[in-house]
Amino acid sequence: MTALSALSYADVGFAYPAGEPVLAGVDLDVPAGDLLLVVGRSGSGKSTLLRCANGLVPHASGGRFRGEVTAFGRSVRLHRPRDLADVVGFVHQDPEAQFVVDRVEHDIAFALENLGLPEREMRRRVEEALDALGIAHLRHRSPATLSGGERQRGAIAGAIAAGPAALVLDEPTSQLDPQGAEDVLAAVARLNADLGTTVLIAEHRLERVASMAHHAVLVDGGVVGLPGDPATVIADYPGAPPVTRLARLLGLTPLPLTVRDARRLIASAGSSIPLLAPGLVAGATNPGARTQGEVLVRAEGLSAAYGPTRVLHKVDVTLAEGEVVVLLGRNGSGKTTLLRILAGLLEPAAGTVDRRGRVAYVPQDPNSLLFSPTVRREVAETLRLLGRRNDGAVDEWLGRLGLGGLAGRHPRSLSAGERQRVAIAAVAVGGAEVLLLDEPTRGMDAGSRLALERAVTDHAAGGGAVILATHDIELAARCATTAIVLGDGDVVAEGPARQVLSESLFAPQVLRALPPFLTVEEVAAFLSARSTVSTQDPS
Amino acid sequence: MTPRLRAVTWLVWAVAAAACIEMAPSPVYVALVIAIAALVVEVHALDTPLARAFPLLVAAGVTFGLVRIGLALLTSHGSGHVLATLPQATLPRVLGGFTVGGTIEAAVLLRASADSLAIVGIMAAFGAFNAVVSHNELVQAAPRAFYEPGLVLTVSLAFVPTTVAAIGAVREADRARTGNHVVRRGRLLRMTVPILETGMERAVALAESMDARGLARIPPGSSASAAGWVALLALVALGAAFVALVGRSSPVALGLAITGALALAVAVALAARGTGHARYRRQRLSGLDWAVIAWLVATPIALGLAGARGDDSLVWAAESLRFPSFHLLPAALLLGLAVPAFIRPSADGDTP
Repeated sequence: MTALSALSYADVGFAYPAGEPVLAGVDLDVPAGDLLLVVGRSGSGKSTLLRCANGLVPHASGGRFRGEVTAFGRSVRLHRPRDLADVVGFVHQDPEAQFVVDRVEHDIAFALENLGLPEREMRRRVEEALDALGIAHLRHRSPATLSGGERQRGAIAGAIAAGPAALVLDEPTSQLDPQGAEDVLAAVARLNADLGTTVLIAEHRLERVASMAHHAVLVDGGVVGLPGDPATVIADYPGAPPVTRLARLLGLTPLPLTVRDARRLIASAGSSIPLLAPGLVAGATNPGARTQGEVLVRAEGLSAAYGPTRVLHKVDVTLAEGEVVVLLGRNGSGKTTLLRILAGLLEPAAGTVDRRGRVAYVPQDPNSLLFSPTVRREVAETLRLLGRRNDGAVDEWLGRLGLGGLAGRHPRSLSAGERQRVAIAAVAVGGAEVLLLDEPTRGMDAGSRLALERAVTDHAAGGGAVILATHDIELAARCATTAIVLGDGDVVAEGPARQVLSESLFAPQVLRALPPFLTVEEVAAFLSARSTVSTQDPS
Repeated sequence: MTPRLRAVTWLVWAVAAAACIEMAPSPVYVALVIAIAALVVEVHALDTPLARAFPLLVAAGVTFGLVRIGLALLTSHGSGHVLATLPQATLPRVLGGFTVGGTIEAAVLLRASADSLAIVGIMAAFGAFNAVVSHNELVQAAPRAFYEPGLVLTVSLAFVPTTVAAIGAVREADRARTGNHVVRRGRLLRMTVPILETGMERAVALAESMDARGLARIPPGSSASAAGWVALLALVALGAAFVALVGRSSPVALGLAITGALALAVAVALAARGTGHARYRRQRLSGLDWAVIAWLVATPIALGLAGARGDDSLVWAAESLRFPSFHLLPAALLLGLAVPAFIRPSADGDTP
């Protein structure tokens, strides 16, 4: 352990009783004041790594633990999480499960009361924590009335009120919409920069956090790599930001993490990038042209309201075979309401829905669906409910969503992204032509996201249709044929996905770095097509 | 909005309102109290999950009242104007031996209705109380001996809104799974398991969060644990006193009640002596609170005095179809209960 080390891991191993090792010989030093990003697939052991930092592993988890973790010189073997509360703050991913008291400021004071601080001291520290997170205006609110991002900032305030020198965040934004995630990450960056708080953070969405981090480590199969420059560490990780993967494809260095850096890099590389040669760009890609099949759902003039609040206003939606429609818009813009109306779960205040195929809906929270003891039985349950036999459909959907290896597991033992895929399989297996997916990529790692994309594309290609309500613009760029943007209950943009996404201010990263391409995959396809053409040319 | 009156003041208000109903159970006065309760909710309801307590408790009171009216009509018989005659049956001796059915008299109906309205009134007062106080503040105001039970209450309150939302989501997910094809068989299991499992996961996460934030870091001192045991004894004694009261064993009840009260006082004193935790922003009663409390305590006493001095409008005889009489003095006294409603919360710029 170096003098400046805040958290130090020495040969740490952990396994649940009768289980595979979750961590296998981890050596890691987190210097004081560092913002260290922990990257890895779901189930790679990164959660366990973080939970060692304040002794939740092994004190709350049980299991076999070896090695030594010290937080500011205190051994987590000898100190329980509560004894480390004044040096390590901990925030986990579910913003709903961290509030003890139903008033924001009293919840923040919870740790201070436990530490036995005098009343005046508590008062000062609560004020400071409120300001550090920018939530002073929410102090008297009940957490139940807050948005996800506000709640998560409240939880962070509760974790830092005791003045810990280190803050550990386990996927703090995975349940949040992009705006909430931005707010949370900005607050974390501010704590790190202004107060010098050491931060250990695990994340799936790297677009924002990677450029904020000083160092990153990759966790894979319980093995933690060497900490290094974030761009280098995540270069080969499937969840790396699209601009990073683009630069890697084009062979440009240093690898960028932001659109700004990528643009600069591409501009300076200039004509050495073959794609930028004039004339080549035109007609480069054209996936927007879709084969219009038979119409499966036609909704006209849909309106809805909750009490006095208008949620949808005269919305028309047509969904044809082979289409993947992406529904974009901020939280509260009416996406979920529209899906619920299309699914027949909610009666619209006005308008009609004509369903010519069967429609199935996967809710935002997969936990509301899962109750069977294994993944396979969960999926088969839907067929049983529909009174049908298991005619291979279960295996087909397990395979499509990459769940084959998890079929025997308990759904509740899976990660958020895996649970989401189980829920999708359990709904889709019923054979509905139209699938409505509400925020399917929430909490998903890159692997889960790829499996989902494939399943969506396959379903549409097989004569079905899919509507995805999402904030994930990169997902939209990769698999949508049509895009609809909702704003305050109105359709504010609609058309072929390529066109709508290109015109948007929040276009996919690759488009902003290297137009007219939307995704790294398109660039790769174009490059390989060109190289076949050029090799054929001379002959 | 910041409430200007403390939770304890509202507790006194609810008790005073209930006492007024006891003092003046005539329907006109009860209706007045219910109207005041509604006004209080209108002005002071918070954004806590229990803000919906008012309609819920009133509905519960109405349901209970209707059942009571039904039972009274079937089982009590008097004289006077007969509204209808039902077939009647006399129960065997083991079941009480009373007569069910038979004549239904107007007086019975009126008396049962008036009694039921009084129940609705008491429910309305406590419903309004639940809707306007922060339960957390109430827990904080409780003596230190009750810190742990208070924390349990606080945490369970924090689970109410998420559980309510989960129930809705699970119902909908169950329908959505089969594309609106409703399968009733096994639905209870399909709905209960996800709610319980999600609740368990949240509870584990919350326990970890509380641990990570230093709960029980300072071990309880000897006086604190002594206070805990004495408080438990107090609660057992008070519970037993209630049972004895129901069992019509007044001397035993009195003895137990005195024991319980004494133990309670000892527990509070013990806890106060210990080096317990300071509380964040513990709300102290202001001069305004004390003034309002004094006023509220005086209201039922004044009503009682009015009754003692022979105001016959307080209790309605309900012997005939006569509109209950209404006197200005008791009504004016009851309007005193509305005073807290006019002490508006101070707006400090963070209205949701």
